[in-house]
Amino acid sequence: MKTIEEINQRIKDGDAVVVTAAEMTQIVNENGVDKAANDIDVVTTGTFGAMCSSGAFLNFGHTDPPIKMTKTYLNGVEAYSGIAAVDSYIGATQPSRIPEIGIDYGGAHVIEDLIRGKDIELIASSYGTDCYPLTELKTHINIENLNEAIMVNPRNCYQNYAAAINTTDETIYTYMGTLLPNMGNVSFSSAGALSPLLNDPYFQTIGMGTKIFMCGAEGYVIGEGTQHNTEVQRKNGVPVNGAGTLMLKGDMKQMDPEYVRGATMPKYGSTLYVGLGIPIPILNNDIAQRTAISDEDIVCQIMDYGTPKRSKPVVIESNYKQLRSGSVEIDGVEIETSPLSSYKKALEIALELKSWINKGDFLLTNPVKLLKSEGSSPRPLSIRRQTVLVNEIKSKPLITANPTDDIRDVAKRMVQNSINHLPVVDADQKLLGIVTSWDIANAVAKGKNMLKDVMTKKVVIAREDEPVDVIARRIDKHEISGLPIISKNNRVMGMITAEDISRLMCARNLKDGV
Amino acid sequence: MKAWLKFSPEMVNKAVITDLIKNYDVSFNILRADINPKGGKMLIEINGSEAEKGIEYIEKAGIDVSPVKRVVKKDTDLCIDCGACVSICPVKAIVVEEDWTVDVNDTECVGCKLCTYSCPTKAIKVVE
Repeated sequence: MKTIEEINQRIKDGDAVVVTAAEMTQIVNENGVDKAANDIDVVTTGTFGAMCSSGAFLNFGHTDPPIKMTKTYLNGVEAYSGIAAVDSYIGATQPSRIPEIGIDYGGAHVIEDLIRGKDIELIASSYGTDCYPLTELKTHINIENLNEAIMVNPRNCYQNYAAAINTTDETIYTYMGTLLPNMGNVSFSSAGALSPLLNDPYFQTIGMGTKIFMCGAEGYVIGEGTQHNTEVQRKNGVPVNGAGTLMLKGDMKQMDPEYVRGATMPKYGSTLYVGLGIPIPILNNDIAQRTAISDEDIVCQIMDYGTPKRSKPVVIESNYKQLRSGSVEIDGVEIETSPLSSYKKALEIALELKSWINKGDFLLTNPVKLLKSEGSSPRPLSIRRQTVLVNEIKSKPLITANPTDDIRDVAKRMVQNSINHLPVVDADQKLLGIVTSWDIANAVAKGKNMLKDVMTKKVVIAREDEPVDVIARRIDKHEISGLPIISKNNRVMGMITAEDISRLMCARNLKDGV
Repeated sequence: MKAWLKFSPEMVNKAVITDLIKNYDVSFNILRADINPKGGKMLIEINGSEAEKGIEYIEKAGIDVSPVKRVVKKDTDLCIDCGACVSICPVKAIVVEEDWTVDVNDTECVGCKLCTYSCPTKAIKVVE
């Protein structure tokens, strides 16, 4: 049994034994936990991952005449300014207001540029008051001339996180990166056995006031992060999915651009790579045992991101040894894996923090309140307006065609029923293709007679139990105007069209009095 | 070696490639192709003991052959060695080294540019 005060004394005397979490796994394996707990004073952890829930409070100082800024833009990225007169909060995922730039330069990039010492254009506007008469300003700021630049990240450092796979037949772009179709790859995020909260899984040492390595500077844990979840299923003592989180604070003026980076997940948004390292004091055997966890012992669920729902189905359970090996096997097929967070940087951070402590530059702190280790789980948000599912929409009676039908008959059928889309089916009502009135016009122009020569064979479909909002997004994405509705046993049940969706919206708005 | 083959409109209907494979000891891989009645181009990888003779043959037959001098590069200042690019590379040209550095391999790269598009820090460039 040791205390933080004893460990700090050893750090000051230059006698403390500090190892990284990777080294600790080996030490406990070789020497046993009792000896390791006795010998080792501090275990350093590290992670360098995309943490979207990050941002910074900036204080610009007062102009003369003064302005009460109500809208602020930093290099074209809006910061929230509903806080007094010259404070604002720049969030990492806010895109540029310039459409051509958008997510390619967001709040995360502004934060990186500030830490790099670059000049940032500030545009601010206001409504003007007796005490703050100025209504507009345009100037440049940088990290030096800001009064304060304080990074405050509401949710960082997830304790484990599900890996992502895509079972659909098209590439999708997510916050977990590019996911290839038909389970073409797996993307995972956690630093595994090196990750801070997996080394103190029951929060025996980490809490409000824990001093940490934050982007190359000293930072502090200021409490649980948002969505902190203590109720996730555990295996080998660690949660199998995203669980605990941290809220953090650090002085950007002290940060090192080596350990922070603005980035963009394609077709998703900007995000901030945050470099974090947390020292874990080895106060007793149990804490020592927990820091000895290996990549192999940390389970990671691989979830299907092809399902745009809150609860995504688990495809398979893996672990970080497998994931880091470069491939996992699913149904007998080797699927390549990609880390999204930098393990190289995570190791660098654990080593850097170790050297700070060894040099006596960094003492440990006693947290004033440990993080909650039970009774905390985020609730979902329910929406007042219920999601309408595809099979709840009133659609026109189903009319289909066969591939050998004559174009003229099909044209007649479409006119008689005043429809623009016609699914082409086989004898079992299974989908073979689709024709639109445009295809028919095209066939006539080119002198083709049989339907199968003009129908589109690669059809974008809707499932009966999908929310209409998902279908609206699909219609927009594929630039189409209607999709056949397909049942669970792959029979064509009807058509859903852009018109059906606009009708639904009008009815909704009428009901809501919009 | 890798090369772009350019087909003029009059070449499109001729079975030059078939003859090449039949008559020469070459292994032949089509990496990308874009051919229509107005001509087109095809990116191939050709190896084997008679690869050079084979190329001579198709050049004589009227196909324009330009060897690929492509450079795939990662900007080490921008790259954070995350590895997001590794699993999306269709030819395993991107690997994680022993020390966890992400490395791109010029000779394996087919220039699909999926990695350049998917890189969170835009650190990979393909120059042809």
